Amino acid sequence: MIGNDIIDLALACEESDWQREGFLDKLFTAEEQEFILNYSLPESMVWILWSMKESAYKIFNNATGKRAYIPLQLVCSLLENKDNCFYGKVTCAGMNFFTMTYISNDCIETIAVDKHEYFDKISVVDNSTIITKINDLPGFYDENKKRYRSVSVSHHGRYKKIVTLN
Amino acid sequence: MDKNTEIEKLKEIVKPYVKDHAAFNDLHEETDFIRDLKINSANLVDIILDVEEKFGIVIDNDSMERMLNIKAALEIIETKLAER
Repeated sequence: MIGNDIIDLALACEESDWQREGFLDKLFTAEEQEFILNYSLPESMVWILWSMKESAYKIFNNATGKRAYIPLQLVCSLLENKDNCFYGKVTCAGMNFFTMTYISNDCIETIAVDKHEYFDKISVVDNSTIITKINDLPGFYDENKKRYRSVSVSHHGRYKKIVTLN
Repeated sequence: MDKNTEIEKLKEIVKPYVKDHAAFNDLHEETDFIRDLKINSANLVDIILDVEEKFGIVIDNDSMERMLNIKAALEIIETKLAER
C-alpha cells in the first residue's frame, strides 16, 4: 500500500503557528520535539515529520479501516538524509511504514509504503486523471493494464500529487 | 452551559479553519471536521487547543483521538466540563 502527503510551505506558514503553546505537545512525541528544536530549520522539520505522519496514517487508515486523530501514536524516526531527500520510518500500533520525503524551497512531499521494496514500484499518476472511489478507496481505471488501480492523492495550496504502486 | 450555547461556541471556534463554507452553513451533529468541512488535519490541533482555551478544559490524548466530528467534540466538551 501507498500513502502520500504534500505540503505547500507558504500556505502551511499562513495556516499554522507551530510555535503556538501546546501545538508541538499535541502532535509530536518528546523525542520528535527534541529533534525539531535541534534541527537547523525547526519549521521545516515540523512539516517533514508531519507529512511523514500523514502519509503513514493514510496507509494505516486503509489497512485497518480505523479513523482517529492519533499523531502521537504515529512515531517517526529519520534514518538517512541524501540529496534533499529524507528516508524515515513511522511506526503505529506495531505496524511499520517506510517513508521518503522530498524537500524543495516551497514544498515538502512524503511518500509512505508498507514494504521497503515498494520504494522501487512508486509511480506518479498524471494530475488530470479522473479519480473515483471504490469501497471508499481512491483509484482509477488503467486502460493499458485493463485493471483498476488504487492511488493516494494529496492536495495542498499550489501543489497536488497522485501516486500509485506499479 | 446548555447544548445550544455549546454548539454556538464550538461553531465560532471552528469557523476560521473551515474550507467548505456550504457544509458549515449546513452544520449538524454528524458534520465531520475533515471530510465535510475540509479542515486541514494540521488545523484540527488548533481547534483542540482553542476548545481547551475557550471552555477551560484539558483534552487528553484518548479524547483527542475521537475528535473528528461535531458530535464527538460536544461529547468530549460536556464530559470534561462535568469533570471540573
